[in-house]
Amino acid sequence: MWLPLIGLIVGLVVGFLLDWRVPQEYSSYLSIALLAGLDTIFGGIRSFLERTFNVRIFLSGFFFNTLFAAGLAFIGGFLGIDLYLAAIVAFGVRLFNNLAVIRRIVLSRWINQQE
Amino acid sequence: MLQKSRKITFILAIISAIIGVMLTVQLRSSLDPVHKESRSIAELRASLQKELEKHKNLLADISKYNQLYYQYETSLSEDESLSVMREELARNRKMAGMVGVEGPGIAISIVDVEFDESIVDEHMSAPVVGGYSIDDEDLRWLVNILFANGAQAVSINGHRLISTTAIRNVGDVIQIDTRTIQPPYEMKALGEPEVLLSALKLEGVEEYFQLSNKHVLAEKRDKLIIPANREERSIRFMKPVKEKGDS
Repeated sequence: MWLPLIGLIVGLVVGFLLDWRVPQEYSSYLSIALLAGLDTIFGGIRSFLERTFNVRIFLSGFFFNTLFAAGLAFIGGFLGIDLYLAAIVAFGVRLFNNLAVIRRIVLSRWINQQE
Repeated sequence: MLQKSRKITFILAIISAIIGVMLTVQLRSSLDPVHKESRSIAELRASLQKELEKHKNLLADISKYNQLYYQYETSLSEDESLSVMREELARNRKMAGMVGVEGPGIAISIVDVEFDESIVDEHMSAPVVGGYSIDDEDLRWLVNILFANGAQAVSINGHRLISTTAIRNVGDVIQIDTRTIQPPYEMKALGEPEVLLSALKLEGVEEYFQLSNKHVLAEKRDKLIIPANREERSIRFMKPVKEKGDS
């Protein structure tokens, strides 16, 4: 269970060490992709807690969501429509939904354990 | 089940590592952007306006300093030309005989031949001392020889010769311009002494003046002083011709 956290820390360290910098005009795509990734992570945690976790769905969801979100933002920028707003709203809503579900499950488990 | 769960956590770890990398990259880009273009168009325009104004001010400064530089340079060259003009004026005054000059040259004195009484016999009529006087023409000829051989300044009996000097007979005496000179005639000429002396010899000055019973004593002098011309001169009947292209 602690392995994902360790992975996160390793990723942070690697990111700091790599010292990549994205130009300002592309940073919005990266932020969208980041949002999508976070959404997928929380979705995975939720499904794990609900015991409906499927590795393939999770993996494909992660990559497809990030790439599609970034691509959408790119196309939006191309067309002059702020399509990345749609991605942000959609992923933000899903993120909060997933977080709420996770919290509820964790809480109910904790309460069950207490009783 | 344990195997599968471990696999899942492993995958989750990888995914979270990717997320971590993305997070840090995003963080770095937003904290320390490659170049800031987050300002709005209006802000950009305002700053552009400011920069343009600054640019204009700098250009004005440049032109101001350029002008100053030009002024300094022209004043410098004016100074220079002034000194050049002064030098030229001094040179011209010297050449025109308006100032006294000194330098190496020769002194010529035309004196009567001393008569040795012993060689005079009764057949010869006693020659009149200084009987054959010197003409203006002789002096002009002599002066011409001197000038032709590089004399820079010539004076006769202290009268400086200039370009408009006239040497002429007036009655029995010779006048230089308006001043009468009396024998013995003393001439001074500034120039290369050797050249002048040899020119006198070459032209036969000695022999020529011997015909009129005169001795020409030419001496080399290291330092001769020739006074300025003292004639009053005024410019009349002439003015400079305006040449084309002369402003």
